[in-house]
Amino acid sequence: MRRWSTGSLILVAVAAAVLGAVVALVAPRPMSAQAGADIRRTADGHPDFSGIWQAMNEAHWDLQAHEARPGMVTQPGVYPYEYARVPAAPVLALGAAGGVPPSIGVVADDGEIPYKPETAAIKRANGENWIDRDPELKCYLPGIPRAMYMPYPFQIVQGTTKIQMAFEFTNAARTIHLDKVEPPPDDTYMGHSVARWEGDTLVVEVTHFNGETWLDRAGNFHSEMAKLTERFTPLTRDAIQYEVTIDDPKTFTRPWRISMPLYRRLEPNMELMEYRCIEFVEEFLWGNLRKEQLVKRWEGETIIVDITRKVPPGDTLHDWYRR
Amino acid sequence: MTKRLLALVGGAAVIAAVAMFLRPGPTSSTLQTPWGAPDLQGLWTYEVEVPLQRPARFAGRERITDEERAAIDKERAEILGRSAAVSDRRYAKGTEQDVSGAYNAAIFTTHRPLGQRTSLIVDPPDGRIPPLTPEAEKKRAEIRAFQLALLQATDVCKDGLPGCAGGKYGPPSSRRGDAPPHYLTVAVNRANGPEDRSLAERCMGAILPDFGGNTGFMLQIIQSPESIAIYYDTAQGQGWQRLIPISANPHLPAHVRQWRGNSRARWEGDTLVVDVTNFSPKTLFQGSSENLHLTERWRRVDANTIEYSVTADDSTVWTRPWTVRQEYKKQDDAQNRIYKEPRCHEGNYGMTALLSGARAEERAFAAGRGPDPATRCTAGCGGFAAGFADTGEEANPLTR
Repeated sequence: MRRWSTGSLILVAVAAAVLGAVVALVAPRPMSAQAGADIRRTADGHPDFSGIWQAMNEAHWDLQAHEARPGMVTQPGVYPYEYARVPAAPVLALGAAGGVPPSIGVVADDGEIPYKPETAAIKRANGENWIDRDPELKCYLPGIPRAMYMPYPFQIVQGTTKIQMAFEFTNAARTIHLDKVEPPPDDTYMGHSVARWEGDTLVVEVTHFNGETWLDRAGNFHSEMAKLTERFTPLTRDAIQYEVTIDDPKTFTRPWRISMPLYRRLEPNMELMEYRCIEFVEEFLWGNLRKEQLVKRWEGETIIVDITRKVPPGDTLHDWYRR
Repeated sequence: MTKRLLALVGGAAVIAAVAMFLRPGPTSSTLQTPWGAPDLQGLWTYEVEVPLQRPARFAGRERITDEERAAIDKERAEILGRSAAVSDRRYAKGTEQDVSGAYNAAIFTTHRPLGQRTSLIVDPPDGRIPPLTPEAEKKRAEIRAFQLALLQATDVCKDGLPGCAGGKYGPPSSRRGDAPPHYLTVAVNRANGPEDRSLAERCMGAILPDFGGNTGFMLQIIQSPESIAIYYDTAQGQGWQRLIPISANPHLPAHVRQWRGNSRARWEGDTLVVDVTNFSPKTLFQGSSENLHLTERWRRVDANTIEYSVTADDSTVWTRPWTVRQEYKKQDDAQNRIYKEPRCHEGNYGMTALLSGARAEERAFAAGRGPDPATRCTAGCGGFAAGFADTGEEANPLTR
C-alpha cells in the first residue's frame, strides 16, 4: 500500500511537470512592440489595463491632420481668403479659448477618411452646423470610439470575465464582454462590445450602433452599420496603443483606421469625478422656452454680443428628436 | 492489487471532480477573485419585496409568517388584476386628471413576492426612519407650502383631491413668480423653466443610496484589485455608473461636492466597507443633502447572495443614524440588457413639450383664448397621484 502510494505521488509529480510544460507553451506571451516590456499583468497572465487613462492629442477636435483654426465656427473676415476667416459670433466671446488647436492627426495610413461623395457632403454640412448638430454639445452619450479620446479621463476596471470602461464625460460607460453574452435587445449609443485576447492585444468587436454618434467636433461621423475592431496593446506600464478599424460600407468606400497612444494618469490620488453635463446644457437646449429668458443683451460696460444663431431647416432641436 | 488500487484512486478522483462541479454551495473559486479578494462580480438584484419602513400593522414584529406572506401576495395579485378596470373608470376623458394618469398602478406596484422581513430598516429596532430634526421638518414644510401655493387655484384643490392634501382652494398665489425656497428635487405646478420640474423629469433622478423600485433595479458589478465598478440600472433611462476606489486616500476636499458623493472603500475581512461623503446640496435622500454620510457594507455571503447594508447619518436631518439591510441575488450573466445606456436625456422631448406647452397656454390666455395658466395643473395634479391612490396604495397591502 505504502509502496503504491509513493508510486502514485511520483506519477502525479510527473503529470504535473508535463502539464506545467504544456501550460507554459500555450500561455499567452508578450506580443507588444517591446517584447518582454515591464507591463502590469493579471493573475492569469494577460495584460492588466486597470487604471485611469486619457488620450493626449487633438483627435477630439478633428481626427485628421489640420492647422490651427480661429474657432470651431468661423465666418469671412476682411480678406476674401479661406485661410483668413475670423471666429463667428457664437464662439467670438470665448477669445483664444474658442480656437481649434493644430494636430498631426490620428488617421492611419494615407490620413484620408474615405467618405462616399454623398456622405462627404454630410460631413461638410456637419462641420458648418457644428453648434446645432454635434451631440457632444447636447451632452448626449458620446459613443465609441469618440469617448476614448475626449479630453477627459476614463477608467478601466478589468474584471475576470468582463471589462468595464467608465468615462468622466456625462458618466458614460461601456461593458466589454470576454464571456458569452446575448446581443443587446436594441441599438446603442455606446455599442455592444465583445472581446478576445490575441497575445497581449485585447481585440474588441463593437457593433449594434444607433447611428446617432459622431467621431469628433469636425463633423466626422459613422452610421448604424458601423462595425469597429479595436486593438488595445500595452506599450509600457503607463501607455496603451489604441487602434480602431472602422468598417461602415454605408458611409465609407473602404475600412479605415485611427491609431493613438492612451496614457495613464499618474497622480497618486487620481480618481474619476462627476461631469454630469445634463444639468449644464438645459439652458442650451431649452433656454428659449423659458418664461423669462436668462440670456439677455448685455449693457453698460459689459460687452454686447449679438448672436444670430440661425438654425438651418432640419436641425432644430425639435427636428433632432423626430429623426 | 495494483489494478484495484488504481481503479480505487481513479474512481475517487472522478467522484471528487464531479463533486467539485456539482456542489451547489459556495466554493473558494466562485467566492474569491484570482487575486484573493472576495468576488462581488456579476449581475445582482433583490428578489423579494420588503418595505423600507415597517408598516404599522406589523409593529413589534421583524418577520411575518409564510401564511401571512401568501395571503398578502394573493390579495395583491387580485387587486393588480382589477387595476386595469379601475384605471379605466378613473376620470372623464380628456380631463387633466385623465391625461396625466396615463399609467396604471400595475407599473408602480411591485410584482415581486413578499419577503419575510417587515422592513429593510434594521436599526432603529422599530424599523422606521428616525424623527426629523426641527430644521429638516421646517425645510420639508417650506417645500410643501410652495407646492401647495402653486396648486391652490387649480381643480385639484377645488375638488379636494389628494394632491392638495394640506392645502386649500383659493385665487392664484402671489408666489407663482417666486424662486423656489430650496433647490427642488420634486416638481412644482409650474413650467417657467426646467428647474421647476422634478429631477426625474430632468433625467437626473438617480441617487445614492438606492433601494430599488418597481420599475427595475439591477446592479452590474465588475472589480479589479484597486476598484469596484457598479452600474446601477434603475430603469426609466436614468441608470448610472459608480466607481469605488479601494483606497486609503482621503476624501476629495470638503468644498468639492458631487451628486452621488465621494466613495472610499477598504476590505474589513471579507466585507467591503465604503465610506461616502461630499454630497451635493442638490441631491436629496429622505430629507438629507450635503451633510449625508453613508457607511456601506458589501459582503458575498454565498454563491448566490450579497448582503448589503448602509448606515445613513446626518445629524442636521435625523435625530439618530439609521441602517438598512438588503439582500441581492445573482442573476444570469449571459442575459444582456442595456444597463450601460441611460438614455433618458437623449430622448427627453417631454421637457421640450412641457415648456413649449406652458408658453402656448400663456400666449392663449393673454390673447383671451384660454384659461388662466395658474388654474391649470401639470404637477401633483391628482390624476396620476389620485389614480395611483385609487389603485396603488390599495394594491400594495404593505403600505395600507
